[in-house]
Amino acid sequence: MIFRRAAVVGLVLLALLLPFLLSANRFYAFILGVTYLYVLWSSGMNLLSGFTGLMPLMYAGLAGIGAYTSVNLVMKFGVSFWLAMPAGALAAAVVGVVLGLPSLRLRGFYFTLSGLVIQTALTMLFVYIPQFTGGDTGISQIPPPMISLPGDKSFALTGVWLEEALAVAALLTVYVVHRVTRSTWGKYLVAIREDDLLTEALGIGVTRYRVLAFFISSLFAGVGGAFYAHYMGFVSPRSFDVLTSMNIWLIVGFGGQGTILGPIVGTIILAPIPYIMQELYLYKDIVYGSLIVFTTIFLPRGVYGSVLFHRRNRALSRSSAQGKTEAARL
Amino acid sequence: MTLENILLNGMAVITTGLIVGAIFSLVAAGVTIMYGTIWFPNASNGQFFMLAALLMWSLVVNWGLSPFLGAVVVIVGSIPFSLVLEKFLVRPFYNVPNRNIVYFIMTLGLAQIFAGAFTGTYGRWSDQFSLPAAWPGAILLGPFPFPRTRLLVLVIALTLLAGLFVFLRLHRVGRALRAVFQNREAAILRGVDVRRIYRFSFVLAMLVITMGGVLFAMAYGFDLTMAWTMAIIGFAIMIVGGPGSVLGSVVIGMIFGFTQAVVSLFASPTLAAFSYLVVMLIILLVKPSGLFAR
Amino acid sequence: MTKLLDARGLNKSFGGVWALKDLNVDQTPGETLGMIGPNGSGKTTFINAVTGHLSLDSGEVSLGGNRITGRKPHAIAQAGLIRTYQAVRVYGQFPVIENLRVAGLPHFRRLGLSDPLDGADALLSKLKLKEKKETLAGALTLFEQRRLELAMRLISRPKLIMLDEPVGGLNPGEIREMIQLLKELRSECALFVIEHTMKVIMELADRVVVLVSGEMIANGAPAAILQDANVIRQYLGSIRVTSR
Repeated sequence: MIFRRAAVVGLVLLALLLPFLLSANRFYAFILGVTYLYVLWSSGMNLLSGFTGLMPLMYAGLAGIGAYTSVNLVMKFGVSFWLAMPAGALAAAVVGVVLGLPSLRLRGFYFTLSGLVIQTALTMLFVYIPQFTGGDTGISQIPPPMISLPGDKSFALTGVWLEEALAVAALLTVYVVHRVTRSTWGKYLVAIREDDLLTEALGIGVTRYRVLAFFISSLFAGVGGAFYAHYMGFVSPRSFDVLTSMNIWLIVGFGGQGTILGPIVGTIILAPIPYIMQELYLYKDIVYGSLIVFTTIFLPRGVYGSVLFHRRNRALSRSSAQGKTEAARL
Repeated sequence: MTLENILLNGMAVITTGLIVGAIFSLVAAGVTIMYGTIWFPNASNGQFFMLAALLMWSLVVNWGLSPFLGAVVVIVGSIPFSLVLEKFLVRPFYNVPNRNIVYFIMTLGLAQIFAGAFTGTYGRWSDQFSLPAAWPGAILLGPFPFPRTRLLVLVIALTLLAGLFVFLRLHRVGRALRAVFQNREAAILRGVDVRRIYRFSFVLAMLVITMGGVLFAMAYGFDLTMAWTMAIIGFAIMIVGGPGSVLGSVVIGMIFGFTQAVVSLFASPTLAAFSYLVVMLIILLVKPSGLFAR
Repeated sequence: MTKLLDARGLNKSFGGVWALKDLNVDQTPGETLGMIGPNGSGKTTFINAVTGHLSLDSGEVSLGGNRITGRKPHAIAQAGLIRTYQAVRVYGQFPVIENLRVAGLPHFRRLGLSDPLDGADALLSKLKLKEKKETLAGALTLFEQRRLELAMRLISRPKLIMLDEPVGGLNPGEIREMIQLLKELRSECALFVIEHTMKVIMELADRVVVLVSGEMIANGAPAAILQDANVIRQYLGSIRVTSR
């Protein structure tokens, strides 16, 4: 138990220190920043996909809404990033619930399909309203987040400081998701994922908790989107298309849905791939696509999820011999 | 707008509507057969459609084959391809309860693979792909010229659709297919070998989609964005028409085809695609079993 | 006296086929009501409709005088009417105690309790599941799972539990035990039992409703129902009463 605590503290400290350790090498620092971003995004999606068993394909579109809202507020109205980003997150959450709510009662494949439809519609929207999105050419020279200091001065969060901010944001997201899963609401979500009919019959309002999951998950999509825009300095509709949703889902699915560490494991393994394979960037889609197919066939529980499952299974067979079973961890 | 102009535009709309509609119907029929019988929603149907078209382009433009020979090669070649896909990607999941979700996600991954592959190969060779006319020249229908190739494509497409229909209604295997779609358990009791029917449906559906791609390449030029667009359209037609209903695919396919033709006249074709999305979403939310549900 | 359950004029059709036809069923406080009928007669549809899982074409349902028609299943469960399923449903991946916790969480505050597992130990003892507290529900035998189902309902202190074939799949010894258990539970909350096994109905029910093709064809004490010529012709002729 204490070992666990220590490990967690250690990892948190490592996460906070890494930006400084890697700051000299901008290439690695950038990969680190992207990794933190995807940890944030995948943890947010995990809330929906991992705990409710649904594949939300419109996630990237919602991230786009968060991004474009924040960018417009900052660049057109001079609003501070620290106000624009939450505004973007809220916009994403509202759109997410409004568009996602009706499709929540659809079963399995139909829900996924409606997510695909909405995502495609959102991408089309991004391309065809250039006043807000710059159309296909996108928006460039997006300023980094500013911190205002006393005496009318401001400090731009760039480089190592922005990566640090991303680290903090990612850690906060993981913490929130962790708290949710430990809460009553988290238990309800897992119950809903296991057997939604039974859960409803027992007195738990399935729809309202799904909506809540949708809202929070979309909120994180928007937060990530805003950070993405101000970190990269450039956004276009291509940044937030269905492939992005699928890639984030892959990270969650490959790492292990429904677990806290799963998305982190998945992100660490998968997020750096396109950047490390710089010359082979064109083959990113082939790699990711193959991984999706591979994960579907061979690794439905993901890397970390499979580890947990086998651990539980060994415990089960060991203890049925003894006549007593170790409690399964949720 | 002179009368002649209006009539000219009208004729263009009708002919485009018919051809595009017929091709839409073919693709949607393939998608709906796959989903209705095997419960296999194929998110990469657009990629297969475009693969057929791109292969046609390679064979005709790069290798100099005649479009007719190219068509035969591609269509016949699709059969072993489908059989391999069926063996490794489809068959392992026949008895999995939630296989429609698994299949959908898997084919999304497959679509991504194809998208990447196409961008890396064909995407670097050309932006637009068009074939030389298979049957050059035009026929005059009244005072209006109608390119011969397109007329041929239209006739072939409609014949294929009719043939598909007849096959499903009258032929022993076709009827077995519909029996499995309607009630798998009952079909098993009636002695239908369900696994063979699954394999057959998959190959048949892929064949139909391939034919759609081949015909489209013969009639029109295209670019790489066609794949996702077609995938959406295929699903939209299947959902609106009713999963498993070939009749629904044909009727809705023709309607969408005409919509495409009409909208393209006044606005961007993307608007048409957008309208399909809206209709599909509405049907999904209001009557998921589609308009021609059994 | 206010009826515990009052369902009036229930109508439900599926594409032209009537599953429930102008059905009136009521249950008075303190009585155990049984429902029997051939397969497909609408028994499960009745439970689905009353507990909000299915929308009615017309009709009204009230629980203890309060109208529950059209409300969502979770709201009806919160109001004190809870049901079990024909094919047993438990959270197979959770241990028994976690199953109970999930079942107790939505209700404990409403009941003025301090903890969702308040009374869980006593419940598990009564249902002979105490030793299996930490076992995964999926590893339990069918009989144990049926008992867990009951525990998960009882922890919400319901007014009425509607049981859909509670002894389905059990062997004769287990059926005897289950009947005994249900008899003891009658003092805690009212029971509505759908069953095919006549022994259960005979021993538990104070009154029996016979449903055929969505309509009630008989209504009375179990002994009387067994003698009813109509019932014999339309239903009993085709089933076997399990021997003692």
